[in-house]
Amino acid sequence: MARSWKVGIDIGGTFTDVIAVNAEDGAVRTAKVQSRSSDPVASIASAYRAVDIDWADVADLMHGTTMATNAIVEDRLAPVALIATEGFRDTLEIGRQNRRELYRLEVTPKLPPLVPATHRLEVTERIDAEGRVLTPLTDTEIERVTKATEDLGVPAVAVALQQCFANTEHEARLGRRLQTAVPYVALSHRISPEPREFERTNTTVLNAALMPLTAGYLDKLEQTAGDSTNLHLFHSAGGMSSIEAVKDRPLALALSGPAAGVAAAGRIAEELGLTQAIGFDMGGTTTDTCVVIDGKVQIGGNQRLAERPVRQLMVAVESIGAGGGSIARIQGQAIRVGPDSAGADPGPACYGFGGEQPTVADANLVLGYLNSERLLGDSIRLDPQLALAATRKIANAFNVSDQEMALGIYRIANANMARALRRVAVERGIDARACTLIAFGGAGPMHAVALAREFGIAHVVVPKFSSVFSALGCLTAELSYTEQHAVRISSTAWQADEFEDIRQQMYARLARPLTAAGHALDSLQARHVALIRYAGQSGTVEVAFTPPADHNALDAEFKAQHQRLYGFVTDEPWELETLRLTVSAATGNDINVPVATAAPATMVAPETQCWFDRDRSVTTPRYPRETLAAKQKIEGPAIIEDQWSTTVVPPGATAWSDLSGHIHIDTGGAA
Amino acid sequence: MNSPINPFTVEVIRNALTAIAEEMSLVVMRSARSPLLREAGDLSSALTDANGDLIAQGRDIPAHLGVMGSTVQEFLKRVPAAQLSPGDVWFLNLPEVGGNHLPDVKAVRPIFAEGALQAFAVSLAHWADIGGARPGSYVPEARDAWQEGLRIPPLRVFTAAGTEHEKLNLILANVRGAREREGDILAQMASTRSADERLAEVFERYGVATVQAAIRDLHDQSEAEMRTALRSLPPGSYQGEDWLDDDGAGDEVPIAVRVRIEIGDGEATFDFSDSDDAARGPLNATPFTAAASVFYAVKAIAGPDIQPNAGCARPLTIITRPGSLLNPPLERPVVGGNHETSQRIVDAIFRAMEPVIARRLTAGCSTTSGLLLFSGRDPRNGRWTTLYEVHGGGEGARVDRDGMPAVRPHMSNVMNTPAEMIEANYPILIERQALRRGSGGAGHHCGGDGQVRVYRVLAPEMELTTMIERCRIPPFGLCGGAPGATFRITLERACGETLQLAGKTSVRLAHGDRVIMESSGGGGYGPVTAKQI
Repeated sequence: MARSWKVGIDIGGTFTDVIAVNAEDGAVRTAKVQSRSSDPVASIASAYRAVDIDWADVADLMHGTTMATNAIVEDRLAPVALIATEGFRDTLEIGRQNRRELYRLEVTPKLPPLVPATHRLEVTERIDAEGRVLTPLTDTEIERVTKATEDLGVPAVAVALQQCFANTEHEARLGRRLQTAVPYVALSHRISPEPREFERTNTTVLNAALMPLTAGYLDKLEQTAGDSTNLHLFHSAGGMSSIEAVKDRPLALALSGPAAGVAAAGRIAEELGLTQAIGFDMGGTTTDTCVVIDGKVQIGGNQRLAERPVRQLMVAVESIGAGGGSIARIQGQAIRVGPDSAGADPGPACYGFGGEQPTVADANLVLGYLNSERLLGDSIRLDPQLALAATRKIANAFNVSDQEMALGIYRIANANMARALRRVAVERGIDARACTLIAFGGAGPMHAVALAREFGIAHVVVPKFSSVFSALGCLTAELSYTEQHAVRISSTAWQADEFEDIRQQMYARLARPLTAAGHALDSLQARHVALIRYAGQSGTVEVAFTPPADHNALDAEFKAQHQRLYGFVTDEPWELETLRLTVSAATGNDINVPVATAAPATMVAPETQCWFDRDRSVTTPRYPRETLAAKQKIEGPAIIEDQWSTTVVPPGATAWSDLSGHIHIDTGGAA
Repeated sequence: MNSPINPFTVEVIRNALTAIAEEMSLVVMRSARSPLLREAGDLSSALTDANGDLIAQGRDIPAHLGVMGSTVQEFLKRVPAAQLSPGDVWFLNLPEVGGNHLPDVKAVRPIFAEGALQAFAVSLAHWADIGGARPGSYVPEARDAWQEGLRIPPLRVFTAAGTEHEKLNLILANVRGAREREGDILAQMASTRSADERLAEVFERYGVATVQAAIRDLHDQSEAEMRTALRSLPPGSYQGEDWLDDDGAGDEVPIAVRVRIEIGDGEATFDFSDSDDAARGPLNATPFTAAASVFYAVKAIAGPDIQPNAGCARPLTIITRPGSLLNPPLERPVVGGNHETSQRIVDAIFRAMEPVIARRLTAGCSTTSGLLLFSGRDPRNGRWTTLYEVHGGGEGARVDRDGMPAVRPHMSNVMNTPAEMIEANYPILIERQALRRGSGGAGHHCGGDGQVRVYRVLAPEMELTTMIERCRIPPFGLCGGAPGATFRITLERACGETLQLAGKTSVRLAHGDRVIMESSGGGGYGPVTAKQI
């Protein structure tokens, strides 16, 4: 049995999820354990123990982690020096000069710069927008600034010179010298080769600041895992990366965890043949939503992390601060839910850890959706009296019943999440009503049907393994590499040959690590996306194509999509701004665990009282998920629960499990 | 809480309406052509009800948002509702139609459901040029409104049948950079279209009667919250004043904005009658801009979390004297009043309230757009270009913290254009962008520093226009804090000559000339303590 396990692990802030599949007999084991934030390798060890697997038994470890994100959010970054072009060291502090809050004077208008003035150095050199050298970078100057950096005694340095992406020579030379003097060096033309100095500098600095932490962790992981385990890390653009690549570019881990969940949603969509789906991952403090088209995760390049701009390819996830822990409060005559969260400490009132304010989880308990009889995981017992007491405080102020207040909190939480869902759909030009909602995360399946009804979505899927879904995503994801390249070819001066040359070079570059890993060249898959816009626009439209690119086909598809997104097209020339290419190889780690097809002869589900409208409760059966047989139809109202999550099937909806164990819910259309 | 519909439905509908306004701004930024919109985000979006009362807004620019409701109300006085049809998009920029200044052009779309007018979507965008005497449509020497550019009364440019090309062509024939402008117009149209589609879904889902009842509730909620917020201010009568450096007309005489504030029981009056007479130069502000400034100041001081809508304005009475700086004769120029005089109004209100609520206030900020407009032909491609660039300065200090450097305060929130984007799109090299260290005012807490940016001209010739305040009268300190440094623009000619430029002027530049922008610092809070000395 040695070396026969393939393991997917997702280390989150609170829990570490694991799913392991045995390559020989197909056995599957899953578990969820508490994360050890100070020692991620210990989290993995503890997950291994929970599924009774030894380090020596693991052939492949596919691993996602929120380590990078948490380090940024919790401000646990290594001290960094920054080297900027002479005259530009304050760019990081000036930022874009806008303030984050329009009306709140007490809030500092900007975040403090990632690097204080004492650690921001300047180097004499200058390149213009066309890449011409205006002021050469001399060797003497390189020596001077290297010495100055060494004197700061920092472990990492970021270099971000003006217009460096138009001519990389200065950064590259400076970088080579710095590498002999400072342990970690990040160069902006490699991390984020695009204009806008503030955003590029920020991205590069974040990368540099994560390098010591990540390298330390990965070294330890490599030692512990030994030589014969293949290690793969899940990166933010939705594919796998080698350990070496991540050490250079740890910021690629920024959305590792959510990206793995999204990738799993993509696999489910592909398996079920869904052309358009929305992934809905609701946890304790945040909800992540994303769009999946034809089983492919959507990627974007212009996002934020902990309010700081980050310019790199990442899965297009819309994150909002709404989850089971979101607090409901009174504001004037109105009621608001979130963005404040009770988090894990003190947690919702019903956890009994001292929280007193009513949360979304408390509302779910008052409504009877959550089960107070069952332990959450192995440790937390929910206390309905505490939930009721917290809810009652604001119910009294509104002169409504406890249940009506709880229903109100439930609905408002759904409206908050609907806003996030709306944004991901809009950004991608998708009609949400035509999508299937794939719900996962601890609270996703509890809210999915109600949220789907908000949009007029008819079909919800709660996939098998939904509570260790990100780990599943790590395990089943294809090995893929993605890159994008600015080409800027105008429709009026179409250069088919030049474009094809660039494409082939990119393909060769991206395929290399895959063929090196033993995948045959003809087994690889490629996805081509052209980012097209009218000259002068900032937003591009994504047009998929099969090479060689046909000018007329691109023209027609661009205009059709522009019309759908914005309601107009013009006869102006357009510009193919960027080519994005993904090359991938299947890992063959699909999991297929058949579900019993015959329903148990006499299955009596325990019954509880649940509230779906404010006037009365209804008797609702509560099915343990593992007892469901394939094709067994369950009419709402019903609750389906496993150890970690609860699926709510309200009146008017119908649920059934398919042969693979995914739960499908017909929402009964728009409410 | 006496509403026929329950408060949860109201909150759900509030979320949906806000999402629509936010989506409108996103559509403009993604599909517009001019850098001023797509890079700097000088735009705003709002929804109003059928009477023009503001329902929801995006997270945009306070100076814009305050006038959106008035725009629709004044529009309806000129275009009766009976003349409106589904699919219409009307464009307008007349200051007297609830406006602020000519470059801020509004696209107004009536939205129908169940066969009746239900709401309006308004997309406001700052056009980089609206014609007039100078490129960029800022004319410091303007002495009348017609020199400032094309004046558009409500004009239906789109109908359900498509574009009214004659009208569009008339507009495009009167502005510089017609092709870029056409793209911006289409983006504004697209933004109102998305609002139309989304609102239709909301009406369909909840029913028109419920949505309208929710809107009435939202207005009532905001009104009640505003009254509560006003009760948190000590009742009484307060007076404050602040001064414009000058009106650009060459007199170099400061012009006063004076306010008398009466805080009553859950209501307040802001009387600006004692302000100076209308200016000759383009620093006049419309009464709508004055109202927008009061609305901002009250919200910032007393109720930042209140849902911004027409209900907030009900407890506020705003008085401006006809013929004064804040209610000028229609023929007077106004382009700078929008972002300069509006900031003076906020400063005057803050200074009036200093004796009683200093702890809630921020000391004087760099309350000016710090606007530099460069225009000229780019020798690289022969194209005519206009760079419209605003500059933030120091934030004032507060009772518990220093001010931050290089931010846009109060009525504006437009971003900068990155140096790399400027160099790629305009014949300009940015030689330096840095904090202007030591420019924040001293105090127990110090004001934030301004910033320095050095522009070098790479075209054979360019024109520079400035529209800048705080060049002579610095951002004030609070409670004994020192004022910040004044704004300063220096021109270093390639031939060696150096001169200080006025805050409102136009000058011709030649290849190799350098323009050095140093923005003002914020004021300090409290006297410098012994420990600090």
